Amino acid sequence: MTRVLVADDASFMRQMIREIVEAEGFEVCGEASDGLEAIEEFKRLHPDVVTMDIVMPRKSGIDAVRGIMELDRSACVVMCSALGQETLVAEAMQAGARDFIVKPFKPDSVIDTLKKVLEKEI
Amino acid sequence: MDMAKYRRIFLEEATEHLAEIGTALLALEKETANPDAIDLIFRMAHSIKGMAASLGYDAITEVSHRLEDRMQSIRSAGRVADPEELALLFRGVECLEAMVRAVANEQEPKPDPELVRILAEVPAPVPAQPKKKLLSLTPLLP
Repeated sequence: MTRVLVADDASFMRQMIREIVEAEGFEVCGEASDGLEAIEEFKRLHPDVVTMDIVMPRKSGIDAVRGIMELDRSACVVMCSALGQETLVAEAMQAGARDFIVKPFKPDSVIDTLKKVLEKEI
Repeated sequence: MDMAKYRRIFLEEATEHLAEIGTALLALEKETANPDAIDLIFRMAHSIKGMAASLGYDAITEVSHRLEDRMQSIRSAGRVADPEELALLFRGVECLEAMVRAVANEQEPKPDPELVRILAEVPAPVPAQPKKKLLSLTPLLP
């Protein structure tokens, strides 16, 4: 079963992603509410994929991607972006993120993106 | 998806965020270059925007988006430009509070195009901080 770590400071967004991925049969193995916690949870849980919000306290999503990449160059991270964050998304991709999903989330698009990046893993 | 559940979560989180923004604005009133307060307002506005967009509350999405953009400019400048800009931020938060109250009362949040327009205006450049008088330049003798 695909194990997903969900990193977002808004519990609203974490729950929404959880509901979308669980409906597809994925397992949410952990949640993080800031960038630092995302790195710690990645280290502890070794998920197959991480959904990472960009704007978070303590450490931004982009810095968290950098931290995760230092731990595992092959880590699979998908950014959760919003309207007007194109530059930040580009920065995150440069840091090692594989792809991005845009808020408001469309369940089909979220699942397609996760499957696409996971297929590339195999 | 159980949208009623997400509406409940939205009301809880948005209300908390707006209270935090209110506290941060008071901090900015005392110290216009308070980086923690600036960063917090930016993040909270961003978070409200994301939730509102997910639920189709377009009026809330628009105001929080413009507030977030304005905070991004303030972040780049390092401080709030002047009392007028601070008053604009207070107005933005009051508007969002009224909109969230409307959602709680199961009413449609009323758009505020005038506020959206003002928030989106390019802010005036932040004037340079007045230089402190150097002690060495102060004459010691009359």
